Amino acid sequence: MEPVESQIESELPVRESQADVSVASPALPERKERRRKPRSWETPPAPVPPPRLDDYKAIVGAAEIDELRFLAKGLKGKTVKMVNSTAVGGGVAEMLNQLVPLLNEVEVNTHWDVITGGNDFFEVTKAFHNALQGSEYQLTQQARDIFLMHNEQNRKRMQFTEDVVVIHDPQPAALVRERQESSRKWIWRCHIDLSNPSFAVWDFLRPFIEQYDAAIFSSQSFSRQLAIPQYLFYPCIDPLSEKNKDLEESFIQQVCDEFGVDRSRPIVTQVSRFDRAKDPVGVVQAFKEARKYVDCQLVLAGGGASDDPEGAAVLKEVREAVGEDPDIIILDLPPWCALEINALQRASTLIVQKSIREGFGLTVTEALWKGKPTIAGAVGGIPNQIIHKLTGALVHSVEGCAYQMRYLLTHPDFAAQLGQNGREHVKENFLMTANVRRWLLLIRILLAVK
Amino acid sequence: MTGEAEQIMPRVPVKPFYFNTSAHLLRITRQKATTLEEFLQALRECPEGSIFQHAFRTLEEHHFIREGFSNDFAHWAMSACNESSLAEGLASVDVREFTSIAELREHFVQIVQSFLTRAPAAATRSARETFYFCASDTVVIPTTFIARTLREFAEGLRGISVHSIHHHFIEARLRLKLMSNDFSQWLHEDLGLTEAARRLNRIDIYTVTMEDVREQIVRVVERALI
Repeated sequence: MEPVESQIESELPVRESQADVSVASPALPERKERRRKPRSWETPPAPVPPPRLDDYKAIVGAAEIDELRFLAKGLKGKTVKMVNSTAVGGGVAEMLNQLVPLLNEVEVNTHWDVITGGNDFFEVTKAFHNALQGSEYQLTQQARDIFLMHNEQNRKRMQFTEDVVVIHDPQPAALVRERQESSRKWIWRCHIDLSNPSFAVWDFLRPFIEQYDAAIFSSQSFSRQLAIPQYLFYPCIDPLSEKNKDLEESFIQQVCDEFGVDRSRPIVTQVSRFDRAKDPVGVVQAFKEARKYVDCQLVLAGGGASDDPEGAAVLKEVREAVGEDPDIIILDLPPWCALEINALQRASTLIVQKSIREGFGLTVTEALWKGKPTIAGAVGGIPNQIIHKLTGALVHSVEGCAYQMRYLLTHPDFAAQLGQNGREHVKENFLMTANVRRWLLLIRILLAVK
Repeated sequence: MTGEAEQIMPRVPVKPFYFNTSAHLLRITRQKATTLEEFLQALRECPEGSIFQHAFRTLEEHHFIREGFSNDFAHWAMSACNESSLAEGLASVDVREFTSIAELREHFVQIVQSFLTRAPAAATRSARETFYFCASDTVVIPTTFIARTLREFAEGLRGISVHSIHHHFIEARLRLKLMSNDFSQWLHEDLGLTEAARRLNRIDIYTVTMEDVREQIVRVVERALI
């Protein structure tokens, strides 16, 4: 079995190559020409400062922010250390970049440390990461020794004086050996799906995990039976980020014009890297079936085809499935095109995420947040987000996906209700503010703050 | 008490109403079920916090949905087991008819047990998805809203979050051990507005969103203000 992506990792992996935009329609040369140089692709945009808690008031309401501040009151002066394996790139670092300033803003003094290690260590931890998500892996004594040696070096280098120590993912899991008899609490935050692990690796890690005071998983179905309490923290999106913030209508139109997307006809979009787990060929097949009954166009917006041989192979398969179809637009985008992705999602009539394997599926969260009726595969964390026929449509096959496309495109009132419910579901459960709330609650509970 | 009697009662409450809210953290418990037989067993053994989570809290988590969602057990029976008569039985349970989790658990157990007696072949059929029993750890939080008059009460109702509405209006009966809620109790005991208190208890929480529930509560209170 191939590994499933970490559910919190970006759908568009970081790569150095430039964007490639390909168009399946030879009939529209002028549009093709325009799409070769879309807005601001040459360089990534400058990073924006992290938002403050009050910035979320307009989105979640003042009462919600007041509640967060109250929860933090009892924790004033408490200290927290977050430890992970990378400061940049990947969803965990992205999430910590937002969470840490927000916790500090409410005076829960939070420090973020990153472990160091050589190539040998990160090769081993990458293999562990994949094995824990189901890949075949032969665990050797050498791999164990490398893992433990680097954890030991980091343990000696770091200081653990905080009230709460949070270790993210398996890479630094063995730092818990520093734990001594004290009131200090240790939490293991697991961002990956452990439902079907390589038991050699899990049996090696489990004794470390069970030394923690609590473990956190992103979905019930990702957890394992453990002797310690397990909590459920859904991954979250930031409604103020470039990928999710509200956009001017003129900008959305501009992006559609640049990409040759016709807004006068229904638009069905899947945003995901070119990966078989996301079944882009299945999306093309479902679209072609649905289009027999309803006029529409398909946008497949993704990345990963230029720096990943498998991605390039998948993109080739997609192009073959598309053929000369003028209604299907394939966009291979660089990872910094968050605004463009946002615009495409907002311009869409329907959003599809027809995954056959998935982490949590944050692209679904993004679609729901934009109030879009969403059709998605019933895998990974997607059923946490889509309640069938209430917050979206869950599908299990190409035929099911085609039917839902037809149905939702021809029943716009029902589709709009799904979109509205989906947005509320995200607002309630999957925004950054909900993440802050969960951390404050867990720290209060573990430190027995009344 | 009649409406006429209510009109001559003073509108200054004996004590103010302090609006609180509760924040919940989800714990993943050891219980899970892949068949109805396992589900029944887990229903008997799970912590009370699980029954609370899947029957009470789920209403709060899905407060924006008007139809087709009453509790997680009914939803799973339908979507994962395709057992519509069991799902209907489970969905018909109104949490407001229970003042203790033990009674509520027993009621759910009886519904499943009785279904499996009628349809024994369903007991071991694999469900499409596993049901994971979660439980809520709860922290009660004060809000900035305090009502010293009925007018302030109406203002507070408009300003608090839907979580606070759920805390006082739905979860409260487990605290009070009464077939009532914090709002009705205050209206009745501290303001003598018994009819308004009764009206609140007749609001159907299963066919409307929590925002709709708020609207209806506010309307009842505003009528009492006139």
